[in-house]
Amino acid sequence: MSDKKLDFFGKRKIFFGISIGLIVIGIIFNFIFGINLDIQFTGGSMISYTYNGSVNESELKSLVQEITPDNQVSFTISKNLAGNNDKGDGYYFTVQFPGTDQIDTEVQSTILQTLEEKYPDNNFELSEFTSVDPTMGTKFFVKCLTAVAIACILMVLYVTLRFKKIGGMSAGVMGLVALLHDMVIVYFVFVIFRMDIDSNFIAVILMILGYSLNDTIVIYDRIRENKAKMGPKASLEDVYNLSMTQCIRRTIFTSITTLAAITSVYVVCLVYNIESIQSFALPMMFGVISGCYSSIYVATPLWVIWQLRKKEKASSKK
Amino acid sequence: MKRVAKPVFFILAVLIIAFAVTSVFGIDTQYGDIVITRIKGIDDIRWGIDIKGGVEATFQPADGVDATPEQLESAKSVIETRMVANNITDYELYADTSSNRIIVRFPWKEETTNYDPNEAIEEISATATLTFRPGNSYETVDYAEDGTPVMKTPTGETAETVLLDGSLVESAQAGVINDNGQTQYVVSLEFNSEGAEAFKEATTTYLNQTISIWMDDIMLSYPTVNSVISDGSAQISGNFTAEEATALATKINAGALPFSLETVNAGSISPTLGSNSLYAMGVAAVIALVFIALFMIIVFRMPGFVAVIALLGQLAITIMAVSGYFPVFNSFTMTLPGIAGMILSIGMGVDANIITAERIKEELKKGKSVDSAINAGTKNSLSAIIDGNMTVVIVAVILILVFGPFNMLSFIFGLSTTGSIYAFGYTLLIGVISNFIMGIGAARLMLKSISGFKIFRNPKLYGGAKK
Repeated sequence: MSDKKLDFFGKRKIFFGISIGLIVIGIIFNFIFGINLDIQFTGGSMISYTYNGSVNESELKSLVQEITPDNQVSFTISKNLAGNNDKGDGYYFTVQFPGTDQIDTEVQSTILQTLEEKYPDNNFELSEFTSVDPTMGTKFFVKCLTAVAIACILMVLYVTLRFKKIGGMSAGVMGLVALLHDMVIVYFVFVIFRMDIDSNFIAVILMILGYSLNDTIVIYDRIRENKAKMGPKASLEDVYNLSMTQCIRRTIFTSITTLAAITSVYVVCLVYNIESIQSFALPMMFGVISGCYSSIYVATPLWVIWQLRKKEKASSKK
Repeated sequence: MKRVAKPVFFILAVLIIAFAVTSVFGIDTQYGDIVITRIKGIDDIRWGIDIKGGVEATFQPADGVDATPEQLESAKSVIETRMVANNITDYELYADTSSNRIIVRFPWKEETTNYDPNEAIEEISATATLTFRPGNSYETVDYAEDGTPVMKTPTGETAETVLLDGSLVESAQAGVINDNGQTQYVVSLEFNSEGAEAFKEATTTYLNQTISIWMDDIMLSYPTVNSVISDGSAQISGNFTAEEATALATKINAGALPFSLETVNAGSISPTLGSNSLYAMGVAAVIALVFIALFMIIVFRMPGFVAVIALLGQLAITIMAVSGYFPVFNSFTMTLPGIAGMILSIGMGVDANIITAERIKEELKKGKSVDSAINAGTKNSLSAIIDGNMTVVIVAVILILVFGPFNMLSFIFGLSTTGSIYAFGYTLLIGVISNFIMGIGAARLMLKSISGFKIFRNPKLYGGAKK
């Protein structure tokens, strides 16, 4: 039984290739699509309404534009599946004000009044509105990133201390590399699905931060244990392959259950068309997959390579 | 091995299920029409405005005025008074002196059908008008959550006559006087010269009668005039506690603030959008739990079954910590990131059980007996679980420190409207702690206890080969 092991290390180049490929694709998409920071971070204003039935869209847009002639506003109209009633299908109508100016409360009430007068049968209602001061938005964003950075540093320190026996520092740094890998993947999910970087992004990043490193640590723990058992003569590749073989079921099972929980959130919110939760569950699903993948194929093989290098250097010095 | 006594499994299982049921449904007792919540359940959870819908706004003194901390505190007390007057109890309100801002967040009231966020924001941030009026007749009394009466809307002479307004008040301060050997808390008022004159006149006219002090539509205090006051400094005494005196002084000062508030940030989410997402989350949670339970029991059998019970326990503790099940802990506002924290901690809880179950399976395959396999399996898996959970604790603690009431980085970034991320750290930390209690502590005890029964000692139940 203990002899049966799969050759994970031998296939490392394929998996590094996959990771690098995904990142390259992400970067390309990033250049094509660009990325939108949500007004939570950039500052600015957005108002969203719900209505039922059909409305001439271009007429609706020009109507709103007339009310604020100074601002070139942009619009989106999307289906509100939960809002269907006897007056027809439900829709969301979102007005985004450009730049970082705050919009007047008067403008807001005028818009709603005009819409109600013009379309009395369409049940126009205010659904959401946000207005953020630009300096506060930026500060908040930087604060979030700082908190993430501090958490990263402390976690690497913890791993370095706890895994001294398997070259603490290298384990910590490679765990961090896997973390960055996952955060970048999550970022690309936001890019590819054209979602704004908002507080959901921060929440997903935070969750992946915990999930990814936990996954990596469980494997490190097995390596630490096997290394002690197999003695100093065993090759690192063997230790890694054996540890991975033993851990793979657990890693996959854990990911399946976590993924299932998040997927059910996603699917239900898709049915009810709750966008705020969808845009939080979808990247989280990818983050969990990436977190599972990176601890198997990024963090630990890189750690093996680092350790092998170190050994080589030590022996060439002799 | 040292086996755990057989009844332990049943005692723990019953306890956990009892906790889980009460944490979800709460315990209410009913006397006639009055329902009293004995233990808070899931319905009593305070949902953040991103889930339930509500208003969030940040204010600052208009025209770039730099308010002193006391002035900001006064401005905050205005908003507080208005919240209480409108019977909004679950609001969050902070004054941030470093960035000169006041942040308020409150959900829509249950019965609100006609919600207008702009109106609501303007209403709460409007400049407070402080008035001194003769008599103390009022129209209505509401009761705040803590039972204190809120007297609203002046009537009769009180409504018709205004003796002084807030602009004539220089300052109000809480203080202590020694009244015949008895310590008494009082509020001292200082008027400016114009105010002193007006107050002299008022106290002459209404000597030995009542003069009431109002903020907007709400009566703050109704002292009786004991003597004519001509020097522009008065004292209000009564059976104040220290807090009451301070609160009154702060409110009176608010009427004399030299600035108005302007809205910096504002946001609102409609209650329909909110209630919808709440229902959807409930559906999703049930589906996810059923799937996890089936998966664990089918794949891991006995350890899986025990894990499901432990998981219920972990969930129950998290819900309790949020809903305020134990009166010692305050209830907590639950937001979307808070739910993310819960999902992560449940993932970690499931993980802890999977690691252990896999280990037990491995030990059985090595040919060990059920007893020693459980023993070795639980022992060998401990370090991985602890190390994994500790790193998550680090994340959670950092978030709580940075975004919570401690505001670790606020000297650089200022206090921001980030209650939602604090919620992530909070639920995550609670989740991980309950994982230690349930997923690691209780699950292991239950497993060792149930394996003491002969019928439960078949290695097949633990993923091992047939005997």
